[in-house]
Amino acid sequence: MSTFSSLPQPNSRFFFASALSAILGIAVDRLVYLPLRKNNAPGLVFLLASFGVFIFIQNLLQLIYGAQILTLRTGPVVEGHQIASAVITDIQILILAASLILLAALWLVIDKTKMGKAIRAVADDTVGASVSGINPEKVILYAFGIGSALAGMGGVLVSLETNIEPTMGMNAILKGIIASIIGGIGSIPGAVLGGFSLGIVENLGIWKIQAGWKDTIAFAVLIIFLLLRPEGIMGKKTDRDKL
Amino acid sequence: MEYLLHILVMAGIYIILTLSLNLIVGFTGLPALGHIAFACVGAYTSSLLALNYGISPWIGLMIGAFNAALLGVLVGAPSMRLKGDYLALATFGLGVIVYSIAKNWVDLTRGPMGLPGIPKFSVLGFELQPVWAYLLLVAVFVFITAFVIGRIVDSPFGRVLKSIREDELAALSIGKNVNRYKLIVFTVGAFFAGIAGSLYAHYITFIDPSSFTAMESIAVLLMVVFGGMGSIGGSFIGALVLVIFPEMLRFLGMPSSVAAPLRQMIYGLLLVVLMLRRPQGIIGRYRFK
Repeated sequence: MSTFSSLPQPNSRFFFASALSAILGIAVDRLVYLPLRKNNAPGLVFLLASFGVFIFIQNLLQLIYGAQILTLRTGPVVEGHQIASAVITDIQILILAASLILLAALWLVIDKTKMGKAIRAVADDTVGASVSGINPEKVILYAFGIGSALAGMGGVLVSLETNIEPTMGMNAILKGIIASIIGGIGSIPGAVLGGFSLGIVENLGIWKIQAGWKDTIAFAVLIIFLLLRPEGIMGKKTDRDKL
Repeated sequence: MEYLLHILVMAGIYIILTLSLNLIVGFTGLPALGHIAFACVGAYTSSLLALNYGISPWIGLMIGAFNAALLGVLVGAPSMRLKGDYLALATFGLGVIVYSIAKNWVDLTRGPMGLPGIPKFSVLGFELQPVWAYLLLVAVFVFITAFVIGRIVDSPFGRVLKSIREDELAALSIGKNVNRYKLIVFTVGAFFAGIAGSLYAHYITFIDPSSFTAMESIAVLLMVVFGGMGSIGGSFIGALVLVIFPEMLRFLGMPSSVAAPLRQMIYGLLLVVLMLRRPQGIIGRYRFK
């Protein structure tokens, strides 16, 4: 029976990483997205600009750290716990617990706080929100900070389980987008549902066929959803006009 | 000299890709992010036909282009209903799926090992071995592509495309079957991308999935946007500048571990600056809506 002592203790570096992500997110917003908003740029211009930011940062990381794979050593390798015919390691339990806590915190912020209400208001109707005394730019700043900090924490959690390489972000973005479309954009329970459904479908899929087909399965699911139910599992049919 | 000609051949192949994507993105206003998938289909079709059945690259090129067009119809028919960001995502997905098939269907494509020893084109029994001969061949195809796409966009058909781009609802209201027009454009674009893929395969004589990644689709899109959406001349400029310019980094004497990411960083930065300062490209007039 292994104990939890082999787990990495929460330390300052974890928070440093997410703080750095938050700062980076806010910086990108100020430098790129804020001017685009001022130009009233259409969604597609945002999409292309964000691709540009993505390519830039990914290759900056490659320039600094090289293309080789790094690992986050977290202590001795210990045997996992057997549950029925599945095995789960302490680290996987930690990741699961940490993501549940973060999700609950996000849900509390979005659903229960004034800032969360403001974020939802701006997402729904920016002009309407500013008429009722909300400063949309301030709200967007907070949203970018919170979102980027969460993404940074997600990155740390992922790297506890897998290797770290400069190109790892692409897959995370794609799977994140697919999961949020499957679940229904703008819905936190939908995001959870979408994430889990995608993970389960992908992994059940490669039970019978080779692991390399994971991405194919993920995108096939995306395309099926885009065609048949673009508003996602939790989305409302009436949202379809906005798509 | 040989090296210079080689870069021009590559630029020619990218011009064909950029022109065909410009027809879809620039002239019709459909955001398509998976264009390289069609080149991948063209390249693999004609290479496999030549390697496994000894079929002439000329015939392979045509079959490859038709296969790419067929994929265009199959994917386009359902997804042309999607709009904006969602169409972009679906076509991006297409790019990832085709790449993934090329990588994982090892029995057919040899996966990451790639296909070596693809024969070159030959004319009257003479193989097009020298680079200049190949440059001529590519130039002919560039001319054909520019001519056909130029004729399409200048015709009454092309004016319908522009009306779809400017105001889809208006095009619908004057009785145009918008989805049919979109599908035709998507298929024609796929056809020419298939030709570009086949030209690439029989020139380099080796292909593997890494030539057809999602990033490559973004690079072609960048060429379209950089040169100018909805401009034939813009596609020439976009492809020429963005193929030749990164090559110049080679002469600064940087090791490839620095030059490769630096090149990508410049691409990324360029994309951001373009979107901020000149979303219509160098000589384009049209912007994304």
